[in-house]
Amino acid sequence: MDAQTILYIEDNEYNRKIVRQLLVRTTYRLVEAVDGETGVAMAQQQLPQLILMDVQLPKMSGLDATRILKADPQTSKIPIIVITSFALSGDREKAAAAGADSYLAKPYSPRELLALVRKFLPEN
Amino acid sequence: MPADAGLEELADIVQRRTFLHRMVHWVAAIRASVHTKLLAAFLIVTALFIAMALASLQTIVSAAHQSRLLDEAHELVALAQQGESALARQMHYTDVALLSQDEVAIAKILRENNQFNDRLAKLEAAGTADPALVEQVRTSQDEAMAVVADIANAIRDGKLSAVTGTLLHRQERLDTEITTRVGLLVAAQQDRMARLRSNVAATNRRSLLLTSLFAVVAVVFALFCGFVISWSFILPVREAQGFLDKVAGGDFGARISVPNRDEFGMLAERMNHMSAELQRFDGEQRRAASELGRLNLQLAQASKAKSEFLANMSHELRTPMNAILGFTEMLIDGLYGDIPDDLKEPLTDIQLNGRHLLRLINDVLDLSKIEAGRMQLALGEYSAREIVDIVHVSLRSLAAEKGLEFVVSVPDELPVAYGDNGRLTQCLMNLAGNAIKFTRQGRVEIGVEQVGADLVFRVADTGIGIPPEELDNVFTEFRQVDTTVTREFGGTGLGLSITRKFVEMHGGRIWVESDFGKGCTFYFAIPLRVSIEE
Repeated sequence: MDAQTILYIEDNEYNRKIVRQLLVRTTYRLVEAVDGETGVAMAQQQLPQLILMDVQLPKMSGLDATRILKADPQTSKIPIIVITSFALSGDREKAAAAGADSYLAKPYSPRELLALVRKFLPEN
Repeated sequence: MPADAGLEELADIVQRRTFLHRMVHWVAAIRASVHTKLLAAFLIVTALFIAMALASLQTIVSAAHQSRLLDEAHELVALAQQGESALARQMHYTDVALLSQDEVAIAKILRENNQFNDRLAKLEAAGTADPALVEQVRTSQDEAMAVVADIANAIRDGKLSAVTGTLLHRQERLDTEITTRVGLLVAAQQDRMARLRSNVAATNRRSLLLTSLFAVVAVVFALFCGFVISWSFILPVREAQGFLDKVAGGDFGARISVPNRDEFGMLAERMNHMSAELQRFDGEQRRAASELGRLNLQLAQASKAKSEFLANMSHELRTPMNAILGFTEMLIDGLYGDIPDDLKEPLTDIQLNGRHLLRLINDVLDLSKIEAGRMQLALGEYSAREIVDIVHVSLRSLAAEKGLEFVVSVPDELPVAYGDNGRLTQCLMNLAGNAIKFTRQGRVEIGVEQVGADLVFRVADTGIGIPPEELDNVFTEFRQVDTTVTREFGGTGLGLSITRKFVEMHGGRIWVESDFGKGCTFYFAIPLRVSIEE
């Protein structure tokens, strides 16, 4: 069986590195995109099993990207975890409104992120 | 009232459509006070009435004079008629003397003659009889008396019968002549009396006419003055009403124009001045308002820029924090392999300080957002007990490390509350965190209870307490009791002021009671059901 693919859309190199290294010891396969448009294109092309979506992205915001993917019947079933640095009141509601399945505020604990990933996509 | 209104309408039409309009303007333009104009009008009318009274008086005097003349004429007519009667009796006795040949009759003739002469003399003295006529009468009378003398002689001589025919003839001629002349005399007097009488009537008529004329002129003039003067007041008052309506309607700078050069004229001048001033003020206000609007727009733009900057800063500051804390945690978790024991402590220190820095960043950003008015509460239903429990669980290990007793006091029955769960948790967390930080030994107690329509959260400690003079300052930004406290206990001094702001945003209040040196108790009261007016 193919490795379970997770798409991480994030423009910051170090944050991508954290997730990359966090998943090294797991069986997940990680693909990365650095902006919203590329992220949407990759999601539609590769159809990953889970998407980690940063909110503040170049070219297209994470919330807009989430809306597009949730509106596309091909990708609408893929769970999306939105990660935001606006740990402010109302951000959780905005993420939910865009169709996100879960929400994580930055700075997150890698331990918590891994637990959330496993919750949506149990490791084979 | 309707009759009055109708009358006024009629007066208005009259003053607008007739020459009175020009008169009204003329009176208005007279450079004199209202008082003077009214006084002048009253004086003119009064003078007219006085003139009328004088004319009447003069008529009365003249009528009295004429009636005296009339009385005199009456007397003269009576005199003339008495003379006429005396003459008639004299003639009669003359005839008697001729027929009876008796001297007694002669005596009677003489008596009547005397009577006649007496009346004639009085008539002559009055000076109203024609002197020529009086002379003729007197001549005829002398002749008649000559006949009487002849008759008396003839009687005495006893020869009357012989001359009776002649004497009778003379007597008859004289009789006719005298009677005619005296008749003329009487008629003249009667004529004169009739003339006087008709004069009196004419004078009376003239006097009546004159008095009536004066009265009519005075009344008409009084009406005219009243009309013209009152309209010279009414017109500016009407103008002023229209003007004031315009100004009240916002037409600042409107002008009033009246022909008056009296108090009303001055009033109009003041009104124009007022209107000009209002226009000036209005212009200034409008300029100031537009300036304010412009500044407001600039401020709004600046505020928007600030908010955007804050949002960006929030992202920019937290992004590296995410990396720092993330890598540290993964190191400690052994993701990169086992770590030597002597590196564990410094790694834990990095993690603790990283988290502290994150809290500071969050505090500064929260406060900035609150100051910019961009902080909004996320209202929802919550359980007060849950808040206390979360705070207790989060800080339990910290209290345990310091050897402090950390207890919770919550009543069993608490209604479901409505507010911003997250922010209230943050508030209680701040207070409890401070209490643990500033307490070296003893206990910290956190709790909540319902007091009326409020929930009152409480954090009590047995720490260093707060000096009485500092009690009012503890909720101010960047204030800690003194700098040594900052050095020993750390902290930004922002926690309490953020807590206060969140409490106030909930419509609640926060306060502290302290026994300096023995600890203190912080309270904050929040409405059980928060309602934020938008």
